[in-house]
Amino acid sequence: MIKDITLGQFFPIDSPIHKMDPRVKILATIIYIFAVFFAKGYAGYIVVALFTYVIILMSKVPLKLILKSLKPLVFLVIFTSLLNIFMTDGKIVTLFNIPLKLGFLKITYEGLSIAVKMALRLIFLVAGTSLLTFTTSPIVLTDGIESLLSPFNKIGLPSHELAMMMSIAIRFIPTLIEETDKIMKAQKARGADFESGNLIKRVKALVPILVPLFISSFRRADELAVAMEARCYKGGKGRTRLRELKLSNIDFKASLYMLLFVLSIVVTNIFVKV
Amino acid sequence: MSIKVENLTHIYSKDTPFEKIALNNISFEIKDNDFVAIIGHTGSGKSTLIQHLNGLVKPDSGKIYIDGEDITEKGCNLTKIRGKVGIVFQYPEYQLFEETVYKDIAYGPSNLGYSEKEIDSIIYDVIKIVGLKEEVLSKSPFELSGGQKRRVAIAGVLAMNPKILILDEPTAGLDPKGRDEILSQIKRIHEDKNITVIIVSHSMEDVAKLAKSVLVMSDGSLLMHDDVKNVFKDDKFLQSIGLNVPQISLVVSRLKEKGIDLGDDIYTLDACEKAIINYLKGVKK
Repeated sequence: MIKDITLGQFFPIDSPIHKMDPRVKILATIIYIFAVFFAKGYAGYIVVALFTYVIILMSKVPLKLILKSLKPLVFLVIFTSLLNIFMTDGKIVTLFNIPLKLGFLKITYEGLSIAVKMALRLIFLVAGTSLLTFTTSPIVLTDGIESLLSPFNKIGLPSHELAMMMSIAIRFIPTLIEETDKIMKAQKARGADFESGNLIKRVKALVPILVPLFISSFRRADELAVAMEARCYKGGKGRTRLRELKLSNIDFKASLYMLLFVLSIVVTNIFVKV
Repeated sequence: MSIKVENLTHIYSKDTPFEKIALNNISFEIKDNDFVAIIGHTGSGKSTLIQHLNGLVKPDSGKIYIDGEDITEKGCNLTKIRGKVGIVFQYPEYQLFEETVYKDIAYGPSNLGYSEKEIDSIIYDVIKIVGLKEEVLSKSPFELSGGQKRRVAIAGVLAMNPKILILDEPTAGLDPKGRDEILSQIKRIHEDKNITVIIVSHSMEDVAKLAKSVLVMSDGSLLMHDDVKNVFKDDKFLQSIGLNVPQISLVVSRLKEKGIDLGDDIYTLDACEKAIINYLKGVKK
């Protein structure tokens, strides 16, 4: 159950997307996010859908896994869709000559259209961005972030320290999940019940998990700090790296594809009015 | 209280590239009032196996009967089963969370619905069994030493009054004195309360000292289920799967290679001492 969280899980296989430089991948993801918001009509959404589908195919990550990462989104999508359907002003939909309107709730054509677009937008956003974490190992990802942030060193941004904090945080997510699982099992073995009862009872039932979890996190943090100091960690200054990031052919190709993608969205926005 | 396991299979991360068979078609039966040791190298599936025995983990296929009741069935009352089958996990002190030792030990029995009066008498009972003084009851569990914390955690499981007690490496990370104390307490619990005990251990000496029968696991399969003396007879086999026999068994088997036969079923220090004395007497004559 708790191990089913897929968001942010690296899927280690070999594909052109996996081989891309993390910096290019991060920038491409940012551009992708902007493009999703920039696409206006349904035609634009079709372009985004096609593009997303093609890069998922290229990445060789099973579609099933991507769909699984969309699961937590279901509630949000339904919620925003309902809000949009019922709360948008415009031309009221009539069904069998009956206008669908009840008090302040009404179904309008505009609302339906916005609801569909919002839902699609959310799905594309999560599918596209989770592809970044599926195809990039956390370490490589933070390397990329560090390198992208390094120009800001001049204005006092500690890019190495930020990246180190991020990689430590990411590194410990599976550990903490495992630990949570272990503690949950231990408390379940003592008769704990996390699934039934009202909200207050359920929140209270979490205390026996959270207290041990916090204590062990502090202990781990302490141990890690000592271990890092024992290996002479002094922060980013003068630190060299094992893997130097280097752009390759794939990255230039990917940039070209991204450019084409953005262009085609701009073109559809201008010329196709659907 | 008996345990019967039939064709138990468990697969982690099924249908992903990380798929791993943790338990492969395991069947065995543990009789009432037995003292069983499970041995096997790291990652052999011992911990996964014991987590099945009170329904914490569901098998992918196979059946588990506790006292005749199939706990893999859907409508089974798992809280009741967990009251019957108590599991003390590895490093159980990491599960402590209450403000006082008293409250922490009370957590299990109160989940099972015992009354406050019952819980009170249970608590004074179990801390005596695990060898803690009454003063610690009002202390915070986080002020205690490592060995004391572990006793509190074991007491927390014992307080649920289990008929089967399962301990996953109860002595890991303790000093020799702490080890001996915990082990002798486990032995006493087994004898005084007539509880079936299952212990997961890497220490063959402990297994030889305590257990009546042994389950040998390797790579998710059950290779042997036999009496202690039969299991420790074959040191070459155990070594081939990354385990060992007690040092005494090694001594006996080396002596046999040199032509001094003390007998097959010697695996404790006391038995060995007697056998050597008898042998020497025989030589003198």
